[in-house]
Amino acid sequence: MDPFRLLELLILAAVLAGFVGLLLRRNLFLKVLAMDVMGSAVVALFVLVAARSGLRSPILTASGTGVGFTAWADPVPQAVILTAIVIGLSIQALLLVVITRLSRIDPTLDLSSFDTGGRR
Amino acid sequence: MTALTPTLTVALSARTILIGWLLLPFLAAFLAAVLPPLARWLALLCCLATGAMAAAIQLGGLPPGFDLLGAYGVALQPDAFAAPFLLLNALVCGAVVLDSWRRPLPGPFLLLLMVLHGGLSSAFVVVDLISLYVTLEVVGISAFLLMLISRSERSMWVALRYLLIGNSVMTLFLIGAALVYLEQGSFRFEDVARTSSIAALALLLVGLLTKSGLFLSGLWLPLTHAEAPAEVSALLSGVVVSAGIAPLLRLSNTLPALGEVITIIGLASTALGLLFALADTDAKRLLAWSTLSQMGLVALAPVVGGLYALAHGLAKAALFLVARRFPSRALHGWGSRPLPAGVWWPLWIGSLSIVGVPPLAGYAAKSSLDGALHGPLALAVTLLSVGTAAVYGRLWSAPLSRDPQLAIDPGTDPSWSPGVVVLLLALVVLGVVALPWGPALASATAKAALVLLGGWGLHRLLEWLRLRERWRLPELERLSDLLGGIGVVGAGLLVILNR
Repeated sequence: MDPFRLLELLILAAVLAGFVGLLLRRNLFLKVLAMDVMGSAVVALFVLVAARSGLRSPILTASGTGVGFTAWADPVPQAVILTAIVIGLSIQALLLVVITRLSRIDPTLDLSSFDTGGRR
Repeated sequence: MTALTPTLTVALSARTILIGWLLLPFLAAFLAAVLPPLARWLALLCCLATGAMAAAIQLGGLPPGFDLLGAYGVALQPDAFAAPFLLLNALVCGAVVLDSWRRPLPGPFLLLLMVLHGGLSSAFVVVDLISLYVTLEVVGISAFLLMLISRSERSMWVALRYLLIGNSVMTLFLIGAALVYLEQGSFRFEDVARTSSIAALALLLVGLLTKSGLFLSGLWLPLTHAEAPAEVSALLSGVVVSAGIAPLLRLSNTLPALGEVITIIGLASTALGLLFALADTDAKRLLAWSTLSQMGLVALAPVVGGLYALAHGLAKAALFLVARRFPSRALHGWGSRPLPAGVWWPLWIGSLSIVGVPPLAGYAAKSSLDGALHGPLALAVTLLSVGTAAVYGRLWSAPLSRDPQLAIDPGTDPSWSPGVVVLLLALVVLGVVALPWGPALASATAKAALVLLGGWGLHRLLEWLRLRERWRLPELERLSDLLGGIGVVGAGLLVILNR
C-alpha cells in the first residue's frame, strides 16, 4: 500500500475516533479532550500534505547547500497549520477555564447536570 | 508610463485604506483597553468606518480584488457582494453601542464588540479558505466571550456548547481545506470550485452550514441566541450568523452544482424553524427559531442573499434589543400584558418587515428574492411567508400601553432606545428606496395583505389548537442531538453530492 494513503487512513481513523468520543463521552472534560484529538489529527494531515513533495525544510543556506535539491517540503500547509494550532490551543484554554467554573456546580462534570436541552 | 503612474498610486492607496480599515477595530480595541472612557466613541468610529466602506464599495470606489502577500497569501474581494453584509455589520454593531450608551456596561463588552466587528468585516471580504477559517474563529471566540458577560451558570454552559460545536465543525472545515489544497495547490474560492473531491466540498459545507445556523446542523442556534443577554442576542442573530452564510453564498455562486443542495437545505431549514417557532412558548426562543428559518431563505438565492440577510438582520437585531424590555418572556398570556410604545412600535415594524410588508426593507428583500426564484420555488417562499406571519402574529396580540416608563429604569434607559430607532429608520429608508411605483405597488400591497391575512388565519387556527392540547415536538437541542445533526447533514451532503 502507498504509504501516503496508509497515513491518510490513520489520520481519518483519528478524526473519527475524536468525533465518536465527542459524541459518546458523558464527561465534559473528556469531550473537550476528544475535540483536541480531532484537532491533532488535522495537524497531522497538514504535515502529511506538506511532506508529499519531500521532507527537507525549504530553507536555502548562505553557503548554497541545497541548491539543486528538489525534494522540498511544501511550506504553505506548514505555515497554515501553525496558525490553526495557536487558535486550537487558545480555544482549548478557554473551554477548560469554563469547565473549571462549571465543576463548582457538578464536580463530576457529568453532561446530564448541564445539558437540559431547550428547557430552562 | 506617465499614464500608468496615477492608476498605480490609486490602487496602492485603496489597498492601504482597505488594510487600515480591517485593522482599525483591533487597534481600537487595544486602545479601548488602555483608555476605557474612549471605548464607546472608538466602537462607534469602527462602525462608521465600516459603513463608509460599504458605501464606497457600493459606489464602485474600490478595485474588486486584492492579494496580500502574494498568491498564497490573503485574498480579499471587497465587491458588491460584500457591501450589504458590511452595511449590516456597521448598523447592527452601531445600534448595539447606541442602545447601551447610557447604561454601565460590564467590563470588556465594548472591547469584545470591536474585535467581533473586525472579525466579521474580514469574514465578509476574504475569499480564501484559511483566512476565512481564522476570521470565523475570531468571530466565534469573541461571541463566546460576549455570551459569558452575564456570568450566570446557565450562560457558561450555553457558551461552552457554542464554542465546542463551533470549533469541532471548523476542524472539519480545515480537513476540507487540506483536501482542496492537496488537489488544487491553493486555498482560494475559485480553486475550490474546480475541485473534484466530493468529501472536501461536504466538509467545507458542513462547517459553513453549521456556522450559519441552517437546518439540522443549526440546531445549536435557538438556545444560544435565546439565552444570551439582549445586546449579545441582537449581535448574534443580526450579524454573526451572516459570517457563515456570506462565504457559503460566495461558494455556491462560483460553484453552481452546490446551488441545488443548498436550496433543499434552505427550504428544509425554513420549514423546520417555522414549525418550532409556532410551537414554542418563549418569546426570545420564538425569535431565535425565526432566525433559523429566515437564514434558510437567505440561502436560497446567492445573488440577492446579501440584501435578504441585511433586511432580516436589521429587523431581528431591533426585535432582540427590545426583547430586554418585554414584561415577561412567556408567550402564554402575551395578549394580556401591555407593552410601552418604545417596545410596541419596534416589535410591529420589525416583524412586519420580516414578513415582507411594503414599504419596509423586508419587502424589498422578499420581492428581489421572488425575482431571483421561479416556478414552484417562488410559490413555496410565499407559502412560507404565510407561516412567518403566523409566527409573528403571536407577538402582535399585546396592546399598546399608555405608560411610557413601563419596565425601564428612567435613570439610565430612555423610553425609546436610540439604537432601535437607528435600525427602524434603516428598515424604512431601505424599503422606501426600493419601492416600485404605479400598478406594481398596488399588486405588491395586495399580495402582502393576503399573506398577512393568511398568516393571521393560521395563527388563530393554531391558537385554538394550542388551547385544546399542548403541542409536543421532539426535543432536538441536547448536545448529542446537535452533534448527531451535524453528522447527518455531513453524510447527507456526501450522498447527494456523489449522485
